Amino acid sequence: MEEFVGEIWHKLITRQARTDFENARVHLASLQPQLAPYFRALGGESGKGIEGADHRVFNTNRRLVQRMAGSHRRFAVCWQDERSLRFPDSIAYFPDAEMNTSLYFWLTALAAELPQIKHWFVDNQTATLKLLKKRPGLIPEYQRLADAFILMRPSLVSLKGQDRQREEAIQQAIKEPGTIATLPIAKGDPIPLPLWVYPAPLHGLITSSEDDLEDQGKGNKAEENLDSNRKQAQRFDDSKQTDGLLVFQLECLFSWAEQVELDRCQEEDLDQDLSSAAEDLDIISLSRQRRAGSAKIKFDMDLPAPQNDDLPIGDGHRLPEWDYRKERMIQDYCLLQPMLADDALPSPVPEHLKNQARSLRNRFSMLQTNRQLQHRQLQGDEIDLDAWIDVKTQPHRNIDNQNLYINRDNNHRDLACLLLADLSMSTDAGLNAEQRVIDVIRDTMLLFAEALSATRDPFAIYGFSSVKNKQVRYQLLKNFAEPYNDQVRGRLQAVKPGFYTRMGAAIRQSSEILKLQKSQQRLLLILSDGKPNDIDRYEGRYGIEDTRKAVLEAKQQGLQPFCVTIDEKGNDYLPYLFGDQGYAVISDLTRLPILLPKLYLNLTGTHA
Amino acid sequence: MHKSLKEDDTMSNNAYLSQGREVEIFKTAAENNLPVLIKGPTGCGKTRFVEHMAEQLHRPIHTVACHDDLTAADLVGRHLIGAEGTYWQDGPLTRAVREGGICYLDEVVEARKDTTVVLHPLSDHRRILPIERTGELIQAHPDFMLVISYNPGYQNLMKGLKPSTRQRFVALSFDYPAPDREVVILCQESGIDKQQAQQLVSLGGDLRRLKDHDLEEAASTRLLIYAARMINAGLPAREACTTCLAQPLTDEVETLAAIERLIQAYF
Ligand SMILES: Nc1ncnc2c1ncn2[C@@H]1O[C@H](COP(=O)(O)OP(=O)(O)OP(=O)(O)O)[C@@H](O)[C@H]1O
Ligand SMILES: [Mg+2]
Repeated sequence: MEEFVGEIWHKLITRQARTDFENARVHLASLQPQLAPYFRALGGESGKGIEGADHRVFNTNRRLVQRMAGSHRRFAVCWQDERSLRFPDSIAYFPDAEMNTSLYFWLTALAAELPQIKHWFVDNQTATLKLLKKRPGLIPEYQRLADAFILMRPSLVSLKGQDRQREEAIQQAIKEPGTIATLPIAKGDPIPLPLWVYPAPLHGLITSSEDDLEDQGKGNKAEENLDSNRKQAQRFDDSKQTDGLLVFQLECLFSWAEQVELDRCQEEDLDQDLSSAAEDLDIISLSRQRRAGSAKIKFDMDLPAPQNDDLPIGDGHRLPEWDYRKERMIQDYCLLQPMLADDALPSPVPEHLKNQARSLRNRFSMLQTNRQLQHRQLQGDEIDLDAWIDVKTQPHRNIDNQNLYINRDNNHRDLACLLLADLSMSTDAGLNAEQRVIDVIRDTMLLFAEALSATRDPFAIYGFSSVKNKQVRYQLLKNFAEPYNDQVRGRLQAVKPGFYTRMGAAIRQSSEILKLQKSQQRLLLILSDGKPNDIDRYEGRYGIEDTRKAVLEAKQQGLQPFCVTIDEKGNDYLPYLFGDQGYAVISDLTRLPILLPKLYLNLTGTHA
Repeated sequence: MHKSLKEDDTMSNNAYLSQGREVEIFKTAAENNLPVLIKGPTGCGKTRFVEHMAEQLHRPIHTVACHDDLTAADLVGRHLIGAEGTYWQDGPLTRAVREGGICYLDEVVEARKDTTVVLHPLSDHRRILPIERTGELIQAHPDFMLVISYNPGYQNLMKGLKPSTRQRFVALSFDYPAPDREVVILCQESGIDKQQAQQLVSLGGDLRRLKDHDLEEAASTRLLIYAARMINAGLPAREACTTCLAQPLTDEVETLAAIERLIQAYF
């Protein structure tokens, strides 16, 4: 211990005005995949995401150098709300990377123990105590962090009066949590305690962006990380210039705002007053914007200029559509245009999916060699004793007494799968601060393809979107004939969301393709994010009925349609479209990329 | 609960700590010639429970672990070749039907669909087993009881049991024992001290929260017992937990790292 303290001491006195240890900096992004399960295991709400925290202004007593440098005014602290758990994007608080990592885990555990803060100073101490009691293995860890923490605090001798009393209380509360009931009052805010969880911020969007300007004005380097609030502000600004084509960006913005609104309501329900006036303002203006924009949303979209668009292949196919009011098919009503992103560059599996892709490939490649014995065959590799015995013992029974062999069938999984992905503009909606729905759909398609290519089951992937009946865009991503390679991966990674969801036509076209496959089982897997819709009468009942018709047709042709949706309201209409057993609603979209291959196994009755 | 504990003490090595009313319900079902379906996650004590009940009811037990190649012949029986030609050999199901006893089909959803069909006439009021190959029709022994179990986890989501099969059984739903009972079970099965057992059980509770999100299956009572035994045998607790509670649950590197941290929070 002494050695350790000495080391810190040494590093402490050799450092200059900076308080961060650059060499020991640890980034949230690299730890996040571990922190999330850790948080859940310790009882944190499983739906909660992890995001980078914004910097907040703390009114601390800065040293002269710090004031001159404009630093030590804004700090990122750990906090959470209904939506997510926020951490500083990186931590370089301690001189040792291991300890900074440790700090992330400590904060995660504490946050799981402290879902709501009523009294910041007391609650943190109580939660610390509880945590250490429940999980005694954390005690040495905490001790280490606390010791180092004390060394980083302003020394008591340098402080006077109220400041000193307050700092003393803080250090005591860390050293022996649960011993200090109130925080003595002093001027300004205490220097933030990186070991503790903070309440949701009281300074929202506006203050923080103003503050930025101020800091930049002083010639200070802008903070490297954009926090979520600021991103929101950014989007907000974009929307102001909205006209024509940008309407859709608005739509995506709205789903963001909706989510925020939702969170807010829940918070109000809980009678928690942590929200800031500024943030509320933000939402109100968004909502107002939304109302103004909603009329525009319905406008027909101009198609992209041909030179910017994917390559159309051929003149398109005419497909029928079901008009439920007239109860008949309207022949040749939809024009389906096959498209190919011919300019997508070949590309390997993206870095963030590499591990998953590898493990899926391994797992699925085992299916390939999974042989099955076929009993009672006319020819085969081995004698089928059971069959022979039957013939001997039951001569009276009418058994075909020539079928006495067992055949090893190498390719018993006789199935073909076509994955049809919804690429309509609604998938451009934000899922969380980092990801849009389309990003997850893209990852899902990639991992699915990685898994299936390892099985050697024939498969194809298509995407679709539509602009009325005059252009149903049918995006070829991988057809049955071509091998799965970087060319295809490049195409999958290049998919872009656009337009609407005329599902019926896309299903009909997919059925046509899948029908040509000779396999015994033919699976039509549809990946969607909501109801069928388009800007003409396809909205509502009409679209639902047409889609249902297309699904029934597919079933009649011996195909097996199955829909995977992320629409939480899916249970309302999917049974009608696909039948009770014909769909799955995925509630946690981020798991879709892992779940889809599994679902494939289930659907095809395979064990892996 | 006390009663059954005392009873168990006198029993051989099959101490079973009841979790609720399952012992009474099972007994009642047995007395009334009704078949029982037990569902629950892996390693929560289903097999142990059935074995215990067989002892309590003084009936022999015939266990069949079902797998995807299990055919009706594996249950019912088949002709074999002997010195004097072929002869018929009863399968475990037929034996139980003839002689009385509990036939326990473990993980029944794994079996091929056609096997469940032979169960149908046995599991309703008829209680008969027709053997197609010999033309025999056996009326079940009064002490015969059919018990099946399965794990309704994600992997079995689509496979499931046909409603016509399910609706022939009295169904009991099992889950991992409540923490205080699990502690007792751990002590009993491994001999570690109560405090360590408690820590293992809370760790198990933490790990179970990861089910569906990060882990396909939760840490079972069985795995907790493994860990406890390893610790009791002198392996350092952290190592025992890693090998019994982390590695068996997942191959994902990040999840493993998180579990590793979790273990360190206890030991
Ligand atoms: N209530 C209990 N009393 C005593 N031991 C128990 C109890 N519950 C579980 N166990 C212990 O847990 C272990 C696992 O139980 P068991 O093998 O019965 O699980 P299972 O539910 O049959 O699992 P699987 O579905 O994987 O076959 C057993 O070794 C047993 O010692
Ligand atoms: Mg078992």
